[in-house]
Amino acid sequence: MKLAELQALFQSAILAGDETDAQLIEEILPKADESRETLLGVYVNAYSLRLTEYLDEDYPALRAYLGEKEFRALVKAYIAANPSKFRNARWFSNPMPEFMQESAKWRAKRRAIGIAQFERALTDAFDAADASAASLEALASFPPEEWPELAFSFHPSLHLLQVAKGTLDAYVAATAEDEETRKRLAQIRATACEGTEAAAVWRAEGDLSYRGLEDDERLALNEAIAGKSFGEICQLVAFQDESQPAVERLAQFLVNWFSEGLVAGVAKATCD
Amino acid sequence: MEPLPRLGYGLGLRPIYYEEILSTRPAVDWFEIISENYMIPGGRPLAMLERVRRDYPIVMHGVSMSLASTDPLDFDYLAELKALAERMEPAWISDHVAWTGVHGLNLHDLLPIPYTREALAHVVERIKRVQDFLKRRLVVENASTYIAFKGAEMTEWEFVAEMAERADCLLLLDVNNVFVASFNHGFDANVYIDAVPAGRVAQFHMAGHTNKGTHRIDTHDQPICEEVWKLYGRARRHCGDVSAMIERDDNFPPFAELLAELQRMRDIDASLSAQASLGEPPRSAA
Repeated sequence: MKLAELQALFQSAILAGDETDAQLIEEILPKADESRETLLGVYVNAYSLRLTEYLDEDYPALRAYLGEKEFRALVKAYIAANPSKFRNARWFSNPMPEFMQESAKWRAKRRAIGIAQFERALTDAFDAADASAASLEALASFPPEEWPELAFSFHPSLHLLQVAKGTLDAYVAATAEDEETRKRLAQIRATACEGTEAAAVWRAEGDLSYRGLEDDERLALNEAIAGKSFGEICQLVAFQDESQPAVERLAQFLVNWFSEGLVAGVAKATCD
Repeated sequence: MEPLPRLGYGLGLRPIYYEEILSTRPAVDWFEIISENYMIPGGRPLAMLERVRRDYPIVMHGVSMSLASTDPLDFDYLAELKALAERMEPAWISDHVAWTGVHGLNLHDLLPIPYTREALAHVVERIKRVQDFLKRRLVVENASTYIAFKGAEMTEWEFVAEMAERADCLLLLDVNNVFVASFNHGFDANVYIDAVPAGRVAQFHMAGHTNKGTHRIDTHDQPICEEVWKLYGRARRHCGDVSAMIERDDNFPPFAELLAELQRMRDIDASLSAQASLGEPPRSAA
Protein backbone atom coordinates (compact mmCIF):
# COMPACT_ATOMS: atom_id res chain seq x y z
CA MET A 1 0.00 0.00 0.00
CA LYS A 2 1.31 3.48 -0.91
CA LEU A 3 2.22 5.81 1.93
CA ALA A 4 -0.50 8.34 1.04
CA GLU A 5 -3.15 5.64 0.98
CA LEU A 6 -1.99 4.21 4.30
CA GLN A 7 -1.99 7.62 5.95
CA ALA A 8 -5.50 8.38 4.68
CA LEU A 9 -6.72 5.05 6.04
CA PHE A 10 -4.97 5.57 9.38
CA GLN A 11 -6.36 9.07 9.77
CA SER A 12 -9.89 7.92 8.93
CA ALA A 13 -9.70 5.27 11.64
CA ILE A 14 -8.54 7.80 14.22
CA LEU A 15 -11.20 10.35 13.30
CA ALA A 16 -13.88 7.67 13.38
CA GLY A 17 -12.61 6.37 16.73
CA ASP A 18 -12.42 2.94 15.13
CA GLU A 19 -9.52 0.65 16.05
CA THR A 20 -11.09 -2.29 14.21
CA ASP A 21 -10.93 -1.09 10.60
CA ALA A 22 -10.27 -4.37 8.77
CA GLN A 23 -8.29 -2.89 5.88
CA LEU A 24 -5.96 -1.04 8.24
CA ILE A 25 -5.61 -3.95 10.66
CA GLU A 26 -4.49 -6.07 7.70
CA GLU A 27 -1.55 -3.68 7.17
CA ILE A 28 -0.34 -4.00 10.78
CA LEU A 29 2.19 -6.62 11.81
CA PRO A 30 0.67 -9.07 14.32
CA LYS A 31 2.14 -9.16 17.83
CA ALA A 32 2.21 -12.42 19.76
CA ASP A 33 0.86 -11.17 23.09
CA GLU A 34 -1.45 -8.35 22.07
CA SER A 35 -4.16 -7.77 19.49
CA ARG A 36 -3.54 -5.34 16.68
CA GLU A 37 -6.81 -3.61 17.58
CA THR A 38 -5.51 -2.83 21.08
CA LEU A 39 -2.27 -1.43 19.69
CA LEU A 40 -4.05 0.68 17.07
CA GLY A 41 -6.34 1.73 19.91
CA VAL A 42 -3.39 3.46 21.59
CA TYR A 43 -3.47 6.01 18.76
CA VAL A 44 -7.25 6.12 18.49
CA ASN A 45 -7.74 6.70 22.22
CA ALA A 46 -4.87 9.18 22.50
CA TYR A 47 -6.54 11.37 19.88
CA SER A 48 -9.80 11.90 21.77
CA LEU A 49 -8.05 12.07 25.16
CA ARG A 50 -5.68 14.76 23.95
CA LEU A 51 -8.35 16.91 22.33
CA THR A 52 -10.60 16.49 25.36
CA GLU A 53 -7.76 17.71 27.55
CA TYR A 54 -7.34 20.85 25.43
CA LEU A 55 -11.05 21.67 25.79
CA ASP A 56 -11.07 20.92 29.53
CA GLU A 57 -8.15 23.31 29.98
CA ASP A 58 -9.69 26.13 27.97
CA TYR A 59 -13.30 25.94 29.20
CA PRO A 60 -13.27 25.15 32.96
CA ALA A 61 -16.14 27.54 33.77
CA LEU A 62 -18.26 26.21 30.92
CA ARG A 63 -17.65 22.71 32.28
CA ALA A 64 -18.73 23.75 35.78
CA TYR A 65 -21.79 25.59 34.45
CA LEU A 66 -23.02 22.77 32.23
CA GLY A 67 -22.15 19.97 34.62
CA GLU A 68 -19.99 16.97 33.80
CA LYS A 69 -22.51 14.97 31.76
CA GLU A 70 -23.58 17.81 29.51
CA PHE A 71 -20.03 19.14 29.07
CA ARG A 72 -18.80 15.68 28.05
CA ALA A 73 -21.57 15.50 25.43
CA LEU A 74 -20.55 18.93 24.14
CA VAL A 75 -16.86 17.99 24.00
CA LYS A 76 -17.62 14.79 22.14
CA ALA A 77 -19.82 16.59 19.62
CA TYR A 78 -17.24 19.36 19.17
CA ILE A 79 -14.37 16.95 18.55
CA ALA A 80 -16.45 14.98 16.04
CA ALA A 81 -17.45 18.13 14.15
CA ASN A 82 -14.13 20.00 14.33
CA PRO A 83 -11.12 17.89 13.38
CA SER A 84 -8.13 20.13 14.04
CA LYS A 85 -6.70 22.09 11.14
CA PHE A 86 -4.12 23.75 13.35
CA ARG A 87 -0.43 22.92 13.65
CA ASN A 88 -0.58 24.50 17.07
CA ALA A 89 -3.06 22.85 19.45
CA ARG A 90 -3.50 26.27 21.08
CA TRP A 91 -6.09 27.17 18.44
CA PHE A 92 -8.10 23.95 18.45
CA SER A 93 -10.63 25.10 21.03
CA ASN A 94 -11.19 28.57 19.61
CA PRO A 95 -14.32 27.94 17.48
CA MET A 96 -16.27 26.52 20.44
CA PRO A 97 -18.70 29.50 20.80
CA GLU A 98 -19.53 29.42 17.08
CA PHE A 99 -19.98 25.67 17.21
CA MET A 100 -22.51 26.09 20.02
CA GLN A 101 -24.30 28.94 18.25
CA GLU A 102 -24.63 26.88 15.06
CA SER A 103 -25.72 23.69 16.77
CA ALA A 104 -29.45 23.01 17.23
CA LYS A 105 -28.71 21.32 20.53
CA TRP A 106 -26.70 24.16 22.06
CA ARG A 107 -27.85 27.40 20.45
CA ALA A 108 -30.63 28.02 23.00
CA LYS A 109 -28.18 27.85 25.90
CA ARG A 110 -27.30 31.52 25.63
CA ARG A 111 -25.56 31.85 28.96
CA ALA A 112 -23.42 28.78 28.31
CA ILE A 113 -22.46 30.31 24.95
CA GLY A 114 -21.68 33.56 26.78
CA ILE A 115 -19.35 31.71 29.14
CA ALA A 116 -17.66 30.03 26.16
CA GLN A 117 -17.20 33.43 24.50
CA PHE A 118 -15.84 34.88 27.70
CA GLU A 119 -13.38 32.04 28.29
CA ARG A 120 -12.17 32.21 24.70
CA ALA A 121 -11.58 35.94 25.13
CA LEU A 122 -9.49 35.18 28.22
CA THR A 123 -7.44 32.63 26.27
CA ASP A 124 -6.98 35.05 23.39
CA ALA A 125 -6.01 37.90 25.70
CA PHE A 126 -3.49 35.67 27.49
CA ASP A 127 -1.17 35.34 24.51
CA ALA A 128 -2.21 38.33 22.39
CA ALA A 129 0.55 40.51 20.98
CA ASP A 130 2.50 42.65 23.43
CA ALA A 131 2.25 46.43 23.72
CA SER A 132 3.15 48.94 26.38
CA ALA A 133 0.23 50.59 28.13
CA ALA A 134 0.00 54.37 27.75
CA SER A 135 0.23 56.13 31.11
CA LEU A 136 -2.15 58.66 32.55
CA GLU A 137 0.71 61.13 32.22
CA ALA A 138 0.53 60.65 28.47
CA LEU A 139 -3.10 61.76 28.58
CA ALA A 140 -2.31 64.59 30.98
CA SER A 141 0.34 65.91 28.62
CA PHE A 142 -2.49 67.19 26.39
CA PRO A 143 -4.29 70.33 27.63
CA PRO A 144 -8.05 69.75 28.24
CA GLU A 145 -9.01 71.91 25.26
CA GLU A 146 -7.23 69.42 23.00
CA TRP A 147 -9.01 66.34 24.40
CA PRO A 148 -11.84 66.45 21.84
CA GLU A 149 -9.22 65.93 19.12
CA LEU A 150 -7.57 62.96 20.79
CA ALA A 151 -7.82 59.45 19.37
CA PHE A 152 -6.56 56.26 20.93
CA SER A 153 -5.05 52.92 20.14
CA PHE A 154 -5.73 50.00 22.45
CA HIS A 155 -3.81 47.05 23.81
CA PRO A 156 -3.93 44.16 21.29
CA SER A 157 -5.35 41.89 24.00
CA LEU A 158 -8.51 44.00 24.47
CA HIS A 159 -11.73 42.19 23.56
CA LEU A 160 -15.21 43.67 23.89
CA LEU A 161 -17.97 41.15 24.38
CA GLN A 162 -21.72 41.33 24.25
CA VAL A 163 -22.89 38.19 26.02
CA ALA A 164 -26.00 36.77 27.65
CA LYS A 165 -27.02 38.43 30.91
CA GLY A 166 -25.49 36.71 33.92
CA THR A 167 -22.44 35.44 32.05
CA LEU A 168 -19.90 37.25 34.22
CA ASP A 169 -21.63 36.24 37.44
CA ALA A 170 -21.70 32.64 36.24
CA TYR A 171 -18.00 32.78 35.35
CA VAL A 172 -17.09 34.19 38.78
CA ALA A 173 -19.17 31.53 40.57
CA ALA A 174 -17.84 28.71 38.39
CA THR A 175 -14.20 29.57 38.98
CA ALA A 176 -14.46 30.63 42.64
CA GLU A 177 -12.22 28.88 45.12
CA ASP A 178 -14.67 29.23 48.01
CA GLU A 179 -17.66 26.94 48.39
CA GLU A 180 -20.17 29.72 49.15
CA THR A 181 -19.51 31.55 45.88
CA ARG A 182 -19.56 28.31 43.92
CA LYS A 183 -23.01 27.52 45.31
CA ARG A 184 -24.34 30.58 43.49
CA LEU A 185 -23.79 28.78 40.21
CA ALA A 186 -26.89 26.65 40.74
CA GLN A 187 -28.97 29.76 41.39
CA ILE A 188 -27.63 31.50 38.31
CA ARG A 189 -28.28 28.39 36.23
CA ALA A 190 -31.90 28.35 37.45
CA THR A 191 -32.42 32.01 36.55
CA ALA A 192 -34.01 32.75 33.19
CA CYS A 193 -31.54 34.23 30.73
CA GLU A 194 -32.96 37.43 29.29
CA GLY A 195 -31.08 40.32 27.74
CA THR A 196 -27.36 40.85 27.33
CA GLU A 197 -24.45 42.41 29.15
CA ALA A 198 -21.15 43.82 27.95
CA ALA A 199 -17.68 43.04 29.18
CA ALA A 200 -14.11 43.98 28.42
CA VAL A 201 -11.29 41.44 28.66
CA TRP A 202 -7.64 42.44 28.38
CA ARG A 203 -4.14 41.83 29.69
CA ALA A 204 -2.45 44.47 31.81
CA GLU A 205 1.19 44.10 32.88
CA GLY A 206 1.01 40.41 31.97
CA ASP A 207 -2.10 39.65 34.03
CA LEU A 208 -5.58 39.00 32.70
CA SER A 209 -8.27 41.53 33.63
CA TYR A 210 -11.97 41.85 32.92
CA ARG A 211 -14.98 43.82 34.00
CA GLY A 212 -18.54 44.53 32.99
CA LEU A 213 -19.42 47.65 31.02
CA GLU A 214 -22.51 49.83 31.21
CA ASP A 215 -24.17 50.56 27.88
CA ASP A 216 -22.70 54.04 27.50
CA GLU A 217 -19.17 52.89 28.29
CA ARG A 218 -19.49 49.97 25.89
CA LEU A 219 -20.64 52.36 23.17
CA ALA A 220 -17.82 54.83 23.93
CA LEU A 221 -15.16 52.12 24.03
CA ASN A 222 -16.45 50.59 20.83
CA GLU A 223 -16.19 53.93 19.05
CA ALA A 224 -12.77 54.64 20.53
CA ILE A 225 -11.52 51.28 19.29
CA ALA A 226 -12.92 52.17 15.85
CA GLY A 227 -10.66 55.25 15.88
CA LYS A 228 -13.19 57.96 16.68
CA SER A 229 -11.87 61.04 18.48
CA PHE A 230 -12.94 61.83 22.02
CA GLY A 231 -15.04 64.75 20.73
CA GLU A 232 -16.88 62.51 18.27
CA ILE A 233 -17.50 59.93 21.01
CA CYS A 234 -18.93 62.61 23.32
CA GLN A 235 -21.32 63.75 20.61
CA LEU A 236 -22.45 60.21 19.88
CA VAL A 237 -23.02 59.23 23.50
CA ALA A 238 -24.86 62.51 24.23
CA PHE A 239 -27.08 61.81 21.24
CA GLN A 240 -27.82 58.29 22.48
CA ASP A 241 -28.58 59.28 26.07
CA GLU A 242 -29.42 62.91 26.76
CA SER A 243 -30.12 62.29 30.44
CA GLN A 244 -26.43 61.79 31.33
CA PRO A 245 -23.91 64.55 31.87
CA ALA A 246 -21.98 62.89 29.09
CA VAL A 247 -18.70 64.76 28.95
CA GLU A 248 -17.80 64.38 32.62
CA ARG A 249 -18.75 60.71 32.62
CA LEU A 250 -16.84 60.05 29.42
CA ALA A 251 -13.80 61.86 30.76
CA GLN A 252 -13.91 59.50 33.75
CA PHE A 253 -14.16 56.50 31.38
CA LEU A 254 -11.11 57.77 29.57
CA VAL A 255 -9.12 58.15 32.78
CA ASN A 256 -10.16 54.62 33.80
CA TRP A 257 -9.09 53.15 30.45
CA PHE A 258 -5.66 54.67 30.91
CA SER A 259 -5.27 53.67 34.55
CA GLU A 260 -6.44 50.10 33.85
CA GLY A 261 -3.94 49.58 31.04
CA LEU A 262 -6.41 49.34 28.14
CA VAL A 263 -4.86 52.17 26.13
CA ALA A 264 -1.63 51.65 24.22
CA GLY A 265 -1.37 55.04 22.52
CA VAL A 266 -2.88 58.52 22.34
CA ALA A 267 -2.45 61.16 19.68
CA LYS A 268 -4.32 64.05 18.11
CA ALA A 269 -6.64 62.66 15.44
CA THR A 270 -5.60 63.41 11.89
CA CYS A 271 -8.10 65.04 9.57
CA ASP A 272 -9.49 62.93 6.72
CA MET B 1 28.25 24.06 8.28
CA GLU B 2 29.38 24.90 11.80
CA PRO B 3 29.36 21.93 14.19
CA LEU B 4 26.63 22.12 16.80
CA PRO B 5 27.71 23.19 20.27
CA ARG B 6 27.93 20.66 23.14
CA LEU B 7 25.39 22.05 25.56
CA GLY B 8 25.71 19.58 28.41
CA TYR B 9 22.69 18.48 30.45
CA GLY B 10 19.27 20.03 29.90
CA LEU B 11 15.62 19.84 30.87
CA GLY B 12 12.37 20.58 29.10
CA LEU B 13 11.11 24.10 29.85
CA ARG B 14 7.53 23.71 31.08
CA PRO B 15 5.25 26.46 32.46
CA ILE B 16 4.83 24.77 35.83
CA TYR B 17 8.53 25.32 36.52
CA TYR B 18 8.89 28.92 35.19
CA GLU B 19 8.89 30.63 38.57
CA GLU B 20 11.28 28.16 40.19
CA ILE B 21 13.70 28.34 37.28
CA LEU B 22 13.70 32.13 37.24
CA SER B 23 13.98 32.51 41.00
CA THR B 24 16.58 29.79 41.70
CA ARG B 25 18.59 29.73 38.45
CA PRO B 26 19.11 25.95 38.80
CA ALA B 27 22.25 24.14 37.68
CA VAL B 28 20.81 23.08 34.35
CA ASP B 29 23.02 23.69 31.34
CA TRP B 30 20.25 24.37 28.84
CA PHE B 31 16.49 24.11 28.24
CA GLU B 32 14.53 22.56 25.42
CA ILE B 33 11.21 24.20 24.50
CA ILE B 34 8.26 22.78 22.61
CA SER B 35 8.40 25.22 19.69
CA GLU B 36 4.65 25.32 19.05
CA ASN B 37 3.95 26.50 22.61
CA TYR B 38 5.74 29.74 21.78
CA MET B 39 4.46 30.23 18.24
CA ILE B 40 1.94 32.74 19.56
CA PRO B 41 1.63 36.52 19.26
CA GLY B 42 2.85 37.48 22.77
CA GLY B 43 2.03 37.36 26.46
CA ARG B 44 3.43 35.50 29.43
CA PRO B 45 4.83 32.37 27.72
CA LEU B 46 7.06 34.39 25.39
CA ALA B 47 8.00 36.81 28.18
CA MET B 48 9.03 33.88 30.39
CA LEU B 49 10.97 32.25 27.58
CA GLU B 50 12.86 35.47 26.91
CA ARG B 51 13.80 35.72 30.57
CA VAL B 52 15.01 32.12 30.65
CA ARG B 53 16.85 32.67 27.38
CA ARG B 54 18.90 35.49 28.92
CA ASP B 55 20.55 32.96 31.25
CA TYR B 56 20.43 29.64 29.39
CA PRO B 57 20.97 28.28 25.90
CA ILE B 58 17.78 26.86 24.42
CA VAL B 59 16.89 24.30 21.78
CA MET B 60 13.63 24.37 19.82
CA HIS B 61 11.90 20.99 19.65
CA GLY B 62 8.81 20.82 17.45
CA VAL B 63 5.95 18.35 17.24
CA SER B 64 4.10 19.54 14.12
CA MET B 65 6.53 19.59 11.21
CA SER B 66 4.97 16.34 10.02
CA LEU B 67 8.07 15.35 8.08
CA ALA B 68 6.58 12.03 6.96
CA SER B 69 3.16 13.34 5.93
CA THR B 70 2.13 13.02 2.30
CA ASP B 71 0.49 16.45 2.54
CA PRO B 72 2.52 19.34 1.13
CA LEU B 73 5.00 20.91 3.56
CA ASP B 74 3.34 23.71 5.49
CA PHE B 75 5.49 26.74 4.72
CA ASP B 76 3.34 29.06 6.84
CA TYR B 77 4.21 26.88 9.81
CA LEU B 78 7.87 26.81 8.80
CA ALA B 79 7.93 30.60 8.42
CA GLU B 80 6.54 30.98 11.94
CA LEU B 81 9.09 28.49 13.22
CA LYS B 82 11.87 30.40 11.50
CA ALA B 83 10.65 33.70 12.97
CA LEU B 84 10.69 32.21 16.47
CA ALA B 85 14.19 30.88 15.84
CA GLU B 86 15.38 34.30 14.72
CA ARG B 87 14.02 35.76 17.94
CA MET B 88 15.24 33.07 20.36
CA GLU B 89 18.45 31.98 18.64
CA PRO B 90 18.25 28.30 19.58
CA ALA B 91 21.31 26.10 19.39
CA TRP B 92 19.32 23.94 16.95
CA ILE B 93 15.82 22.98 15.82
CA SER B 94 14.47 19.44 16.01
CA ASP B 95 11.37 17.45 15.08
CA HIS B 96 10.38 13.82 14.51
CA VAL B 97 10.39 10.98 12.01
CA ALA B 98 6.60 10.97 12.02
CA TRP B 99 3.51 12.47 10.48
CA THR B 100 0.71 14.34 12.27
CA GLY B 101 -2.06 14.37 9.68
CA VAL B 102 -3.08 14.53 6.04
CA HIS B 103 -5.75 16.35 3.99
CA GLY B 104 -5.08 19.57 5.91
CA LEU B 105 -5.87 18.08 9.31
CA ASN B 106 -3.71 17.69 12.37
CA LEU B 107 -4.23 14.80 14.77
CA HIS B 108 -1.81 16.25 17.33
CA ASP B 109 0.12 13.01 17.63
CA LEU B 110 3.34 11.56 16.24
CA LEU B 111 2.06 8.83 13.95
CA PRO B 112 4.02 5.83 12.64
CA ILE B 113 5.20 5.13 9.12
CA PRO B 114 6.11 1.92 7.32
CA TYR B 115 9.88 1.70 6.90
CA THR B 116 9.79 1.42 3.13
CA ARG B 117 11.96 2.79 0.31
CA GLU B 118 9.06 5.03 -0.72
CA ALA B 119 8.71 6.52 2.79
CA LEU B 120 12.47 6.96 3.08
CA ALA B 121 12.74 8.88 -0.19
CA HIS B 122 9.76 11.01 0.83
CA VAL B 123 11.13 11.91 4.28
CA VAL B 124 14.64 12.57 2.94
CA GLU B 125 13.30 14.96 0.32
CA ARG B 126 11.24 16.85 2.88
CA ILE B 127 14.07 17.16 5.40
CA LYS B 128 16.25 18.62 2.64
CA ARG B 129 13.58 21.16 1.73
CA VAL B 130 13.06 22.14 5.36
CA GLN B 131 16.81 22.55 5.85
CA ASP B 132 17.00 24.75 2.74
CA PHE B 133 14.15 26.89 4.04
CA LEU B 134 15.42 27.20 7.61
CA LYS B 135 18.99 27.59 6.38
CA ARG B 136 20.23 25.23 9.06
CA ARG B 137 20.63 21.54 9.61
CA LEU B 138 17.62 19.89 11.14
CA VAL B 139 17.95 17.50 14.08
CA VAL B 140 15.52 14.62 13.59
CA GLU B 141 14.24 12.35 16.37
CA ASN B 142 13.19 8.71 16.30
CA ALA B 143 9.58 8.52 17.55
CA SER B 144 7.95 5.96 19.82
CA THR B 145 5.68 3.57 17.96
CA TYR B 146 3.03 1.09 19.05
CA ILE B 147 2.41 -0.67 15.77
CA ALA B 148 4.66 -1.86 12.96
CA PHE B 149 3.59 -2.34 9.36
CA LYS B 150 3.77 -5.55 7.35
CA GLY B 151 5.04 -3.63 4.35
CA ALA B 152 8.32 -2.57 6.04
CA GLU B 153 11.37 -3.16 3.84
CA MET B 154 13.98 -2.35 6.50
CA THR B 155 14.38 -1.96 10.23
CA GLU B 156 13.75 1.38 11.93
CA TRP B 157 17.47 1.84 12.64
CA GLU B 158 18.35 1.16 9.01
CA PHE B 159 15.73 3.71 8.00
CA VAL B 160 17.00 6.35 10.42
CA ALA B 161 20.66 5.85 9.51
CA GLU B 162 20.04 6.06 5.77
CA MET B 163 17.70 9.02 6.24
CA ALA B 164 20.36 10.97 8.14
CA GLU B 165 23.01 10.14 5.55
CA ARG B 166 20.94 11.00 2.49
CA ALA B 167 19.31 14.13 3.95
CA ASP B 168 22.57 15.18 5.61
CA CYS B 169 20.65 15.95 8.78
CA LEU B 170 21.56 15.34 12.40
CA LEU B 171 19.85 13.00 14.82
CA LEU B 172 18.15 13.35 18.15
CA LEU B 173 18.46 9.89 19.66
CA ASP B 174 15.56 9.38 22.04
CA VAL B 175 16.82 6.52 24.18
CA ASN B 176 13.43 5.97 25.80
CA ASN B 177 11.77 5.80 22.38
CA VAL B 178 14.26 3.15 21.28
CA PHE B 179 13.43 1.13 24.38
CA VAL B 180 9.65 1.57 23.98
CA ALA B 181 9.81 0.58 20.30
CA SER B 182 12.06 -2.40 21.04
CA PHE B 183 9.62 -3.67 23.64
CA ASN B 184 6.57 -3.07 21.46
CA HIS B 185 8.09 -4.65 18.35
CA GLY B 186 10.29 -7.28 19.92
CA PHE B 187 13.73 -6.23 18.70
CA ASP B 188 16.99 -5.84 20.62
CA ALA B 189 17.40 -2.20 21.65
CA ASN B 190 21.17 -2.68 21.87
CA VAL B 191 21.30 -3.53 18.18
CA TYR B 192 19.44 -0.30 17.40
CA ILE B 193 21.76 1.84 19.53
CA ASP B 194 24.88 0.24 18.04
CA ALA B 195 23.61 0.89 14.51
CA VAL B 196 22.99 4.60 15.01
CA PRO B 197 25.51 6.71 13.05
CA ALA B 198 27.22 8.18 16.10
CA GLY B 199 28.78 11.09 14.25
CA ARG B 200 25.36 12.44 13.35
CA VAL B 201 23.84 12.36 16.85
CA ALA B 202 23.51 15.89 18.21
CA GLN B 203 21.32 15.18 21.21
CA PHE B 204 19.85 12.53 23.48
CA HIS B 205 16.35 12.51 24.90
CA MET B 206 15.58 10.64 28.09
CA ALA B 207 12.09 10.21 29.53
CA GLY B 208 9.77 7.95 31.44
CA HIS B 209 6.97 5.87 29.95
CA THR B 210 3.99 3.76 30.99
CA ASN B 211 4.19 -0.01 31.10
CA LYS B 212 0.87 -1.53 30.00
CA GLY B 213 2.16 -5.09 30.29
CA THR B 214 1.90 -6.15 26.67
CA HIS B 215 3.09 -2.79 25.37
CA ARG B 216 4.65 0.45 26.57
CA ILE B 217 3.46 3.97 25.89
CA ASP B 218 5.69 7.03 25.67
CA THR B 219 3.85 9.19 28.22
CA HIS B 220 6.67 11.32 29.70
CA ASP B 221 4.83 11.19 33.02
CA GLN B 222 7.05 8.82 35.02
CA PRO B 223 10.63 8.72 36.25
CA ILE B 224 13.10 7.16 33.83
CA CYS B 225 13.08 3.38 34.32
CA GLU B 226 16.16 1.25 35.00
CA GLU B 227 16.16 -0.41 31.56
CA VAL B 228 16.30 2.98 29.89
CA TRP B 229 19.12 4.15 32.20
CA LYS B 230 21.05 1.06 31.18
CA LEU B 231 20.43 1.76 27.52
CA TYR B 232 21.55 5.36 28.08
CA GLY B 233 24.96 4.11 29.19
CA ARG B 234 25.27 2.16 25.96
CA ALA B 235 24.15 5.14 23.88
CA ARG B 236 26.67 7.36 25.65
CA ARG B 237 29.51 4.92 25.03
CA HIS B 238 28.50 4.66 21.38
CA CYS B 239 27.90 8.36 20.65
CA GLY B 240 30.30 10.11 23.02
CA ASP B 241 29.89 13.64 24.31
CA VAL B 242 26.57 14.83 22.89
CA SER B 243 24.04 17.11 24.60
CA ALA B 244 21.40 15.31 26.62
CA MET B 245 18.15 16.25 28.28
CA ILE B 246 15.16 14.84 30.17
CA GLU B 247 11.57 15.33 29.00
CA ARG B 248 8.74 15.48 31.51
CA ASP B 249 5.29 16.46 30.24
CA ASP B 250 2.77 15.28 32.82
CA ASN B 251 2.45 14.15 36.44
CA PHE B 252 5.02 16.84 37.19
CA PRO B 253 7.23 16.11 40.21
CA PRO B 254 9.01 18.72 42.33
CA PHE B 255 11.72 20.28 40.18
CA ALA B 256 14.35 18.79 42.50
CA GLU B 257 13.40 15.30 41.29
CA LEU B 258 14.20 16.25 37.71
CA LEU B 259 17.48 17.76 38.87
CA ALA B 260 18.25 14.46 40.63
CA GLU B 261 17.60 12.54 37.39
CA LEU B 262 19.86 14.98 35.58
CA GLN B 263 22.53 14.38 38.20
CA ARG B 264 22.25 10.65 37.64
CA MET B 265 22.94 11.28 33.98
CA ARG B 266 26.04 13.31 34.86
CA ASP B 267 27.19 10.57 37.27
CA ILE B 268 26.84 7.87 34.63
CA ASP B 269 28.84 9.94 32.19
CA ALA B 270 31.51 10.71 34.78
CA SER B 271 31.82 7.02 35.54
CA LEU B 272 32.11 6.16 31.85
CA SER B 273 34.75 8.84 31.36
CA ALA B 274 36.73 7.56 34.32
CA GLN B 275 36.61 4.02 32.97
CA ALA B 276 37.69 5.21 29.55
CA SER B 277 40.62 7.22 30.93
CA LEU B 278 41.79 4.21 32.94
CA GLY B 279 41.59 2.11 29.83
CA GLU B 280 39.11 -0.25 31.43
CA PRO B 281 36.72 -2.15 29.23
CA PRO B 282 33.28 -0.48 29.27
CA ARG B 283 30.96 -1.75 31.98
CA SER B 284 27.37 -1.02 32.68
CA ALA B 285 27.38 2.33 34.46
CA ALA B 286 23.67 2.69 34.98
